[in-house]
Amino acid sequence: MFWRMVKGALFRQKGKMLMIAFTIALGASLSTAMLNVMLDVGDKVNQELKTYGANINVVPKGASLLDDLYGVGDGSGFSDKYLKESELGNIKTIFWAFNIVDFAPYFETRIALNNADEEVKLSGTWFSYHLELPTGESLNTGMINMKNWWDVSGEWISDLDTDSAMVGSLLASRYSIQAGDLITANSGNQSVSLRVKGVFNSGSDEDSQVFVPLSVAQKLAGRDGLVSRVEVSALTTPDNELSRRAAQNPKSLSIKEWETWYCTAYVSAICYQIDEVMTDSVSKPIRQVAESEGAILEKTQLLMLLITVLSLVGSALGISNLVTASVIERSKEIGLLKALGANNAPVSWLVLTEILFTGVVGGVAGYFAGLGFAQIIGQSVFGSAIDIKPMVIPIVAVLIFTVTLAGSVPSIRYMLSLRPAEVLHGR
Amino acid sequence: MNLLEMKGVSKIYGNVHALQNIDLIVEQGEWLAIMGPSGSGKTTMMNIVGCMDKASRGSVILHGVNISQESAKNLTAIRRDKIGLIFQQFHLINYLTALENVMVAQYYHSIPDEAEALRSLERVGLKDRAKHLPSQLSGGEQQRVCIARALINYPMLILADEPTGNLDEANEKIVLDILKQLHKEGSTIIVVTHDPEVADEAQRTVVLEHGKIARIVRNNKEV
Repeated sequence: MFWRMVKGALFRQKGKMLMIAFTIALGASLSTAMLNVMLDVGDKVNQELKTYGANINVVPKGASLLDDLYGVGDGSGFSDKYLKESELGNIKTIFWAFNIVDFAPYFETRIALNNADEEVKLSGTWFSYHLELPTGESLNTGMINMKNWWDVSGEWISDLDTDSAMVGSLLASRYSIQAGDLITANSGNQSVSLRVKGVFNSGSDEDSQVFVPLSVAQKLAGRDGLVSRVEVSALTTPDNELSRRAAQNPKSLSIKEWETWYCTAYVSAICYQIDEVMTDSVSKPIRQVAESEGAILEKTQLLMLLITVLSLVGSALGISNLVTASVIERSKEIGLLKALGANNAPVSWLVLTEILFTGVVGGVAGYFAGLGFAQIIGQSVFGSAIDIKPMVIPIVAVLIFTVTLAGSVPSIRYMLSLRPAEVLHGR
Repeated sequence: MNLLEMKGVSKIYGNVHALQNIDLIVEQGEWLAIMGPSGSGKTTMMNIVGCMDKASRGSVILHGVNISQESAKNLTAIRRDKIGLIFQQFHLINYLTALENVMVAQYYHSIPDEAEALRSLERVGLKDRAKHLPSQLSGGEQQRVCIARALINYPMLILADEPTGNLDEANEKIVLDILKQLHKEGSTIIVVTHDPEVADEAQRTVVLEHGKIARIVRNNKEV
């Protein structure tokens, strides 16, 4: 009989129950959307931030020492220390290989441009280099992905354009160079003629440099197979106390702490792992970028969490009001059940069961609607889909169960206080 | 044998004395009518006898139990086991069929038995309307479902509050005939009514005024 009563209440009072289910669905959809976005926003924001450049700089040990002591860190021109080009693929074999979004090696040297007395800096790099990895996989990586904010007049060059160059806007205006012009670069007894394919504006000191494919720069300096430094763009986890201690000295950590740190995508852990696979290298986080990324990420996640909590509180209030209104409307029925001999517990259980059933229907509908909302947010804010996290299902289920129960408390209390004589006879 | 014995019963709400010093005995198998103008205390008396309210003073002994001293939980059990309630407003659950409305009383009393509930509806002439919702029944039919529900647990006492108050003449007659039949079968009935025709069917009529028994009429003769 209990289930006949529940069934009757659910199916023969569809309007009321649908209204409660709709409110619950609204809360569930908001929670689902916000939780999915919150759990994915880290990767999304990280990917967005990666478009603003590298967050790790890998330099040879000697160059790093000079940089630390004297603040001069522009590589081969000063230290004569290099990294091996053949080891670059190892960067994509570290524990956090999938978090390495892009990297670009640089060979930096000084040249005389168009036979002038003044020396300018020439950087050889990978623009969009197809790299075969030791693991058998392959990838395209290079500067085009990492400097996509550059304003290029003309076009980017490719790694195969060994007779082409890109010139920074400051240098171009000083030497009156335009896209399509021919320039000469002299270094020692080496000389090469290059066609300028693009003039770029980067907004940094790179505007005073010439960029060429890596092999061209190595040849000019007579240093085949060597690179001065590598810029790496990696997805990282915001720093905490553990990562800060590890960054200072990984040996100060206990074995358990060390494992936790090593297996978390902290920027210091990724640097450590790069140093493990690159001979005589020192990887350093570009602090400003890494810390800003962490701060933005934390604030975004906090914001999403607050919106989730607020949507749940709003939902709880809505459910509470609707359930209480429904119970008040049904007070005669509840009074009658008590007059027929029902105690408080069975009556409360009956009403709670109805609400929980409605909650399940609303919760399931809300969950799927929430997945849709999450995708809308993903497409409109980040321009890509939000990953559906299975862990959201139990979280939303528990939240909706709790919120529905909490929202039902005032109505249950009202119900317990009902006396049959009052509601049936107005006394 | 006395089924109900009220001694010096008063009910006071704040400054209002709804019932004052009522003494009344109802014998088993008796049909008693309670009459009186609005505010005379009829409903209060019915609530006290029906274990839905407690007297402020005095004692109410129902089938040997002083219900004026019982806890709310015990009163619920006594109401469930010994009393059948018939209401003027019928108070049927609108999302349950006629049959299910009868079975609800069974469910809270013991074990629901559909065949027995159907027999109860048959007794009030509504077997063919068993699957209908209250909204699909006329007022008279709803009152008959209410009576079937009151009878389903074989109560010692049937308490009817204005059972014909919302019915037309034809349905009033049907309901009265059912009550007469129940009385003939030995049920004890207390009916609260405004209607002299309903009161005339009772063996004894208690007339209340201002919370006091103004007079008692037995077989149409004042005593």
